[in-house]
This record gives sequence, C-alpha cells and structure tokens, in this order.
Amino acid sequence: MKKILLIIFFSNCSFSELILEITQGTEDPFRVAIIEFQGSNEISKDIHEIIKNNLKRSGEFTIFDNDDLLSTPKSENDIIFNDFKILNIDYLVIGNIVNDKLNITSEYKVFDIKKSKKVRSSTIFGIPNKNRQLAHYISDGIYEEITGIKGIASTKILYVTENEDFKLIVADADGKNEQVLLESSEPIISPSWSPDSKKVAYVSFETGMAKVFVQDIATGKRDVVIKNSSQISSPAWSPDGKFLSLTMYQDGNAEIYILNLQNKNLTRLTNHYAIDTESSWSKKGSKIMFTSGRSGSPQLYEINLRQSNARPKRVTFDGNYNAKGSYLPNNEGIVFVHRADVNFQIAIKYFDENFIRPLTESQMDESPSISPNGNVIVYAIREEGMGLLSGVTLSGAKFKLPASEGAVREPSWSGFLR
Amino acid sequence: MFIFKNKINFLIVVIFLSSCSSMNITEENVYSDNVKTVKASSSMPENINLDSMAIFANATVYFEFDKSSLTSKSIQTLKSAVDALNENTSIKVTLSGHADERGTREYNLALGQRRAESVSDYLVLNGINKSRITVKSFGEEKPLAYGQDESSYAKNRRVEIN
Repeated sequence: MKKILLIIFFSNCSFSELILEITQGTEDPFRVAIIEFQGSNEISKDIHEIIKNNLKRSGEFTIFDNDDLLSTPKSENDIIFNDFKILNIDYLVIGNIVNDKLNITSEYKVFDIKKSKKVRSSTIFGIPNKNRQLAHYISDGIYEEITGIKGIASTKILYVTENEDFKLIVADADGKNEQVLLESSEPIISPSWSPDSKKVAYVSFETGMAKVFVQDIATGKRDVVIKNSSQISSPAWSPDGKFLSLTMYQDGNAEIYILNLQNKNLTRLTNHYAIDTESSWSKKGSKIMFTSGRSGSPQLYEINLRQSNARPKRVTFDGNYNAKGSYLPNNEGIVFVHRADVNFQIAIKYFDENFIRPLTESQMDESPSISPNGNVIVYAIREEGMGLLSGVTLSGAKFKLPASEGAVREPSWSGFLR
Repeated sequence: MFIFKNKINFLIVVIFLSSCSSMNITEENVYSDNVKTVKASSSMPENINLDSMAIFANATVYFEFDKSSLTSKSIQTLKSAVDALNENTSIKVTLSGHADERGTREYNLALGQRRAESVSDYLVLNGINKSRITVKSFGEEKPLAYGQDESSYAKNRRVEIN
C-alpha cells in the first residue's frame, strides 16, 4: 500500500488558511493538467487556485499547473497531445473567462489525453462578483466528467461558532464565503438542511429552553415549529421535506416524534424510559435511525417506517458509545460517533460487514455529516481545547477547514445545489 | 447582481454525438446564494425572585458520567431544598440539567434533562407540588469549568436549582 504524506499550505491574504493534509490519497490518482483560463487575468488566477484546491481536497487528483507542463495551449487548436502523454497525464482542461460589468461567463473543455479527444465542452453563466461560485461549478463539472460522480465543490456547509456570541453560519464547502444566518446570545445546536437546501432547522436556546426553529435562508423568515411549554430538539428532515423528526420532552424523557409540517400532526415513534434522540432518515425515507440508551449505553437503533408497529432494531454492538448516526446516500452503511474505550472517533459501518471501521483517530471527534455524493465526511474536532472543522474522504484524504473566529462545531452538509 | 437572482431553472444539455465517440456538452447558470442575517432576541428569563435566590443560591447537585441517579451527597443537598420549599410555599423552582462535554450534544441534552427529572422526582416524592417545578436542560452547552479533565467534567455534570 502506497502511503503519501503531503502537507500543503495555501495562503491567501484576505482569508485564513486552508490546510490540506493528505495523509493517504488514492493509490492511483487522476493526473490532470489545468491550464490557467484565458481572459481577465486576476479573475483567472483566482478561479484557477479555487479549482485546484477543490480537486486536490477530494484526494483523487494530482494537478499539473502551467509550470509543470511542456506546453500550455491557449485554445483547442494549440494542443499537442504528445506533450501531455509524455507526462502520463490523463486529462487536460482549458477554458476562458469572459467578464463584463453585467455578466461573467466561463467556457471550458476537458480532453482525454490517451484518446486524444475532447470529452466535455461546458458553458457556465455566473453571477458578477461571485467568482468563487463560478469556480466551484467549473470544479464540479471537471470532477463529474473524470470520476463519473457528482462533485460537491458548489455545495454548502452549515455550522455553529461560539465567540462573544453564537452564530449559525453557512459557507462554501471549502469553508470560505461565510455568511451569517443567525446571531444569538444563547447556544445554537443541531443545524440541519431541508432536502431542497432552501431552509434550515436548528435548536436555539434563545427563549431560555431548547426549541426547534425553521428558517428560510434567503428571506430570514423563521418560526418555532411547535409552540408548547416543554423543550424540543434534534430536528431532521424527511427526504421529501414534508416531515420533521424531533426529540420531544413532554413525557419527561427524550422521545422521538414525527411532525407533519403541513397539518402539524405529531406521531410518536419511540416509547421507552431510556433516552431516545438524534433521529435521522434513510435516503428513501423508509427508515429512521436514532441513538438510544435502552441497552445501558448509547447505541444506534433503527425503525422501519413501512412496517406498522415495527420494533426498534439495534444496529451497533461494538463499543461503549455509538451515537448520532446518519445513512450513506447509497444506503450502503452508516456513519456515526464511536467510542471503543475512551476516545470519541468518527466511524463507518457498512451493512455487509460485521465490524466498525474508525475513520479518525483524535480524542474528541463529533458531529459527522456526509457530503451529498457520499465521498466526504465533515466533522468537528478539538485542538488545544479549540473547536475546528475537519474532513475525511473515503479515499483517505484528510483536511481541515479554515479556522473561523472562535470555536467552530456542528457542521451539516447541504444537498446538491446545482 | 440581480440578473440570475430568481432564476430557478438551470439547464444541462447533454448531447451524445455518436455511440462510439461521445462528448458532453453542458450549459448551466450559477444559483444565487444570498443569505439574510437574523438576530435572535433573547428572552432568557431573569432570576428576579430574590427570595428564592437568597434561599437557593448556588444549590447544585452533581452526577456520575452518563448517569442520572442521585448520589447520597446530592440527597443531603436536596433535603435542605425540600425544607426551604416547604417553609416558603410561594416559591417556584427551575431545575436546569447539565452534562460534561464528552459524547454527542443531543444525547447530552437528553441526559441533562434526565438529571433534572431525577431531582424533580425526588422533590415531588418529598411532597413538593409538581406545578412549582420547571425542568429543563442545557446539555453540554453551559459548562462551569472549561478544562478537558475529570475535575472539570465532574463540575459540569450537575443540576442547578434556582
């Protein structure tokens, strides 16, 4: 097994550092040459850097720059395929940026070097002054063309920061372009995206007690989902967006309910004197997984919603703490917080295996959230008592997101936005 | 800035040129990612009942890791709380449960609630009317001690009575 140890620091004067720490990339990464796009010089440079970082962060690519190449074709007609074949390059990307005051547009082309032919020709109509987004869309097109899997550069991550106060923040998948959704003097926990990624649900303590709110991202309109006198937490949307599973405490103990968002009807899902919380839905909405203390330690259970009166089925057996589970998008397994002895790690369990695979190795890893393509898991870590976000790809690459001000935690990955 | 703002449709045109040599041709628009920032106005209840503050100031009971059962030391503390509540029947109490930072936030919120419920059960069992008691949890969100060691954790696994 080939192990690569690579630590790359990218610095940028206006942002904090993105630390790409690839501890183990794929054995056979795609070798891709990306020529800096033609057109507006400064924007091209910017966009070039963003695309490179996006692709590198996946752990699946080795990127070749202008300086690494024998020739740097400006257009299709300039391409000498042999110059790339000699370097064992698999794919070549060229493109241009057209920027006037009203529009920004990029055209790019992807060439398969071995076949000496063009495999993709794309045009992206961007939004002026939103160059990062344009770069993310280009990255996703390149990623999808080469790997056959949808890219996640244009997706978003939601998280909570604590500094002077608490903030719920939405940022690009690379941790930049932070925008504040909510500021509060009281804690905010458990943010979660609606399936169409237009709304978020979260728990806010602003009324003096945990309450679940739903907020529209673009308009800022927000509401408490259930108005009663007891605390409510742990919201999770059903895949069709019609239901919200919640933990309610009106029975004096944490129990999971399903709220119909249209008629506000509540259906009780669990009934046990132990703690039941942290519900999450399978991608087709047929199962709900949750954390329960009913065996004497926190373990994961699931309930089949298609059966009437289905009994919870225990899904984790190894370790003394297994909690906050979520399903992989293809339903091949689950990702969760796992403790074998003293350390909390992020772990994965595939349904066709009877053992747990730890993915991380520090002491206090928590809040795993899976990218919509299922390839990357973002989670919260502690470093010298400080909260930071980190990511691990299923191909083995690890990275840290740029430190925002204060402690960062509770990441939640959006769905696909493009 | 506003040209694509409300454009909901995006377009991906995929054309397969021929069966042996295919090429993807795509066109798409970038979505707007505009965000509205909201400021939550906190309505945390202030502790205005000075009488109860005087009697119960810093009355706190502590718990073992992942446990919500009362220890004998906790019961001593609670006995004097029961006496004070019996002497001043107009006083209402809030029981706020807390957890240390180990484990997941939602599980800890539920654990803090269980701890507060244990205290509530004790008070009710000893004759205090349930209508005088409010139970809630802050989970691991409001630690008293910030260290990552057992002595800090022990201080944070608590129910505050006030």
